[in-house]
Amino acid sequence: MNPLLEQFLSEARDGLQDIGEKLMQLENAPADAGLMNELFRLVHTLKGNSGLFDFPEMTRVLHAGEDLMDAVRNGQAAYSRKLADRLLDAMDFIGMLCDEIEADGVTGAAHASVSVHLVKGLRQLMARDEVAGIAERHLAAGITDDTSAIPAAETAASLAASLAADLPLATIPEPARLEAYRRASAGEPLHWLLYTPSEQCFYQGDDPFFLARQTPELLWGGIEARTPWPPLADLDAYCCVLDIHLLSAAPRILLEEQYRYVADQMTLTPVSRFALVLPQGDANGGPVYDDFVSDARNLLAAGDLAGLARNAGTMLELSSPDLWIASALRWLRLVLETEPENRVVLDALVDSLSSLNAPDWTAVLAGWVEPRATHPADPPPGHDHRPLTAAPIESIHEDRPRVDESQVSGDDGVRSVLPILTTAEAEALAAILASQREILALTDTPTWLPGRLKAAAAVLSACLRVSGATDARPALERATATALAENTGAALLAWLDGQFSSSTSSDTRAKEEASTAPVAIAADPPQPWPQPEAESEVKFGRRAEDAIAGPKSLKVDQAKIDRLMNLIGEMVVAKNALPYLAGRAETVFGVRELSRDIKGHHAVINRIAEEMQDAIMQVRMMPVSFVFQRFPRLVRDISRKLGKEVNLVLEGEDTEADKNIIEALGDPLMHIVRNSLDHGIESPEIRRAAGKPAAGTLLLRAAQESDRVVIQIRDDGKGIDPETIKRKAYAKGLIDEATLERISDQEAVNLVFAAGFSTAEQVSDLSGRGVGMDVVRTAVEKVNGTVALTSERGRGTHLSLSVPLSMAVTNVMIVVSDGQLFGVPMDSVVETVRVPRAAIRTIKRSLATVLRGRIVPLKSINALLGLAAPPRSNADDELAVLVVRLGDESVGLLVDDFRETLDIILKPMTGVLSGIPAYAGSALMGDGSVLMVLNVREIL
Amino acid sequence: MAIEYKKNLAVFHDVVSVEEAEALLEWLQTKRTAKVDLTDCVHLHPANLQVLMAAKPAIQAWPTDAGLSAWLESALVAR
Repeated sequence: MNPLLEQFLSEARDGLQDIGEKLMQLENAPADAGLMNELFRLVHTLKGNSGLFDFPEMTRVLHAGEDLMDAVRNGQAAYSRKLADRLLDAMDFIGMLCDEIEADGVTGAAHASVSVHLVKGLRQLMARDEVAGIAERHLAAGITDDTSAIPAAETAASLAASLAADLPLATIPEPARLEAYRRASAGEPLHWLLYTPSEQCFYQGDDPFFLARQTPELLWGGIEARTPWPPLADLDAYCCVLDIHLLSAAPRILLEEQYRYVADQMTLTPVSRFALVLPQGDANGGPVYDDFVSDARNLLAAGDLAGLARNAGTMLELSSPDLWIASALRWLRLVLETEPENRVVLDALVDSLSSLNAPDWTAVLAGWVEPRATHPADPPPGHDHRPLTAAPIESIHEDRPRVDESQVSGDDGVRSVLPILTTAEAEALAAILASQREILALTDTPTWLPGRLKAAAAVLSACLRVSGATDARPALERATATALAENTGAALLAWLDGQFSSSTSSDTRAKEEASTAPVAIAADPPQPWPQPEAESEVKFGRRAEDAIAGPKSLKVDQAKIDRLMNLIGEMVVAKNALPYLAGRAETVFGVRELSRDIKGHHAVINRIAEEMQDAIMQVRMMPVSFVFQRFPRLVRDISRKLGKEVNLVLEGEDTEADKNIIEALGDPLMHIVRNSLDHGIESPEIRRAAGKPAAGTLLLRAAQESDRVVIQIRDDGKGIDPETIKRKAYAKGLIDEATLERISDQEAVNLVFAAGFSTAEQVSDLSGRGVGMDVVRTAVEKVNGTVALTSERGRGTHLSLSVPLSMAVTNVMIVVSDGQLFGVPMDSVVETVRVPRAAIRTIKRSLATVLRGRIVPLKSINALLGLAAPPRSNADDELAVLVVRLGDESVGLLVDDFRETLDIILKPMTGVLSGIPAYAGSALMGDGSVLMVLNVREIL
Repeated sequence: MAIEYKKNLAVFHDVVSVEEAEALLEWLQTKRTAKVDLTDCVHLHPANLQVLMAAKPAIQAWPTDAGLSAWLESALVAR
């Protein structure tokens, strides 16, 4: 994986996290424009970054999200929970793609359909006219709109599309069309694909021709020049000006996969097989067919299809194969062969034989319903001589109701301009104008562009005449002349907007888009999109330089920090060797001076090493928000699933602790929160009945207490019923009968931590598997943490997790007993004292002494560890007592002698030794010996 | 060389890569009555195709590869 991709993934994750957070915040403050802007910016950035790589699915979804956010930001779509849900889903999808990219380096093409679905969902949320506007803009920008990927019903739309769009199907040789028809009638989908490679594609190493040749289920393909060829001397061989058309019987998804890297240069149009039925050839000459036609009609009426086929065969033999009539007969035979029951089509073909005109399928099929088809829509007027993509078709369908609505709703721009029209006429006029608008907004430059412009101008002129606004004719003519001169529809479009501007006043934005987009293209084709980033910056009055100052943080791989950590650990050990060296210099070699120098240096190195250690620890510190940040989403999702209302309160998110500790907290906290939501907080009705606010409160609070981090989770739910717990625990055999009678409520509540305990009657997908709290306790204890649970029935439950800030370096005090060295963690050491033997009292069989007015029980470490030797006293007959903290009490440990304190890297016991709880671990000393560190809590 | 230039005839072999287009264009610019033999061609980069489409040399022989031949005919046969 290259570094750029790695960085993208890490940034994408951050971005997704931020997006999630912002969405959560927006739920509480839907009207916050600042948040909305920020959200938009995040999505926008993410989309931009994703464009650097070949992840078409990701970019597609982000693009839709961006459009939606933009619409919301501009007030065209309302923020809603549904919107948040869909955006979150989309972001989850992106997250999933990120995971996949990280694992495999690529995204599977299988996600295309999911992405399309998500895009559809997002786009739906935009106001209808907004969709049309966007589609128009995309079209204008030459971008294949994502909606083109929506598997447009290959029914009505496909029929209408291919019939109305007038794809250059006639250029396909007849045998290829016959084959296509045959396969389509067998149920295969037909798609017309127009692939317009970018001019620079050769420089990017693309071979569009090869790509096209590899198209699955290719039926026919053709290549055309986009523009007339320049003189050979001026030709640039490396500027791609080819358009590739092809007809394929592959399902849409396969085609999309084949062209996924150039999805923006490709348009797919579903093709109805009937659109292929275009008899071609010499229309003159040949035998007289009237007899055949009347015979054929009779045979059809009689249902004698075999006879008809025979007749047609004979007729075909008599006719020259180049004749139009022969071609029509071939089609007739094909239909007879593939769909003998399809009378409508057969009738139409026979009719066309008599009229010598190709069947008008739009009319023929208007009343005919294909098994899975609906009525084909009428082709919109003026849709001649241009290949329609699925996008504009959809937008037409989206568009039309809008226009109609605006008419019906009385917001009737056309009528106000042209008062002499009836409502029906005004509607028709509006539809025509909408179509013209779309035609003019097209930015491809086919050779027939002037013809298209003229046609549009003629239609507009006719509109003017009908509506009686003849005085506007000169302006139209001027606009037409300009448009022809510039070879774009922009001038005409501008005129159209000027003349019929109020016709779309129901949505001023659509108009604005329709008018601005093409202009922008004319000026600057590669950047059809307005730069929203720039806009927002201008809005905030920020200067460009300010934006450059990026975050002053580095992203460092954790492995590097871990390595530093290990190195400093070794350094500490090496540093600890210096005092031994000093000791040897003095005792073995008798050089006192050198010994002092070494000690002096040790002090210096010690200081630096400690600071370094501290600095590295700081690097590893992470705020608890790292684990907290996932909870708003979690709580939201779960509470909605459970039908509960929950307010999540997070406090102390900036409390920091070591990364390992923070990460170890993630799962336990998740379990606890789930438990609280599932078992703790009641449904709103029950809460109301109990006199509590309908919405429960879940509090997560982190705080630092000396060298530990305490995380509290408090809910105001129903609490834990100790009786139930006791009963369940007894039933499950976790406690015996005696314990059942004896244990206190508090102890009973803590039984939930026992392995295999579950109160839930049924295992739900949230909890009830009986591992939850056990997992919590194990996970917390693994990082030397503790869990405490208190619960009050009907009032709520309170869990407190206490974990160390860091677990990397431990400060221990070294003590000697029976000639062995032991380490005692400084955390638990209160003080070291020497107590005269006379001051030690024996109470029953226990030893005790009085320290500063308090009785401190004494224990011999030798006895605790099973060593036979008695405690040794020094020359003054004093015993060394190490006072340690044990919970709230202090206990004195009788040892032989104290040594220095030491920073050590505590290595936990492994293998067979891990079963010995008396030791917390071992550490390597400066002189190479091994120090055993006592687990004070366990031995006492 | 994937394109073999004879006196007045360019013979295409195997896969004609994008690098050939420049030379092909230069050659066609000087030979107004050039002919092209595509018999052994199995694929040609569209840059070459563009040059052929623009220069319109006489196609002496179409590729034996039927798929390629169909594609090229759509592009090179004047309609």
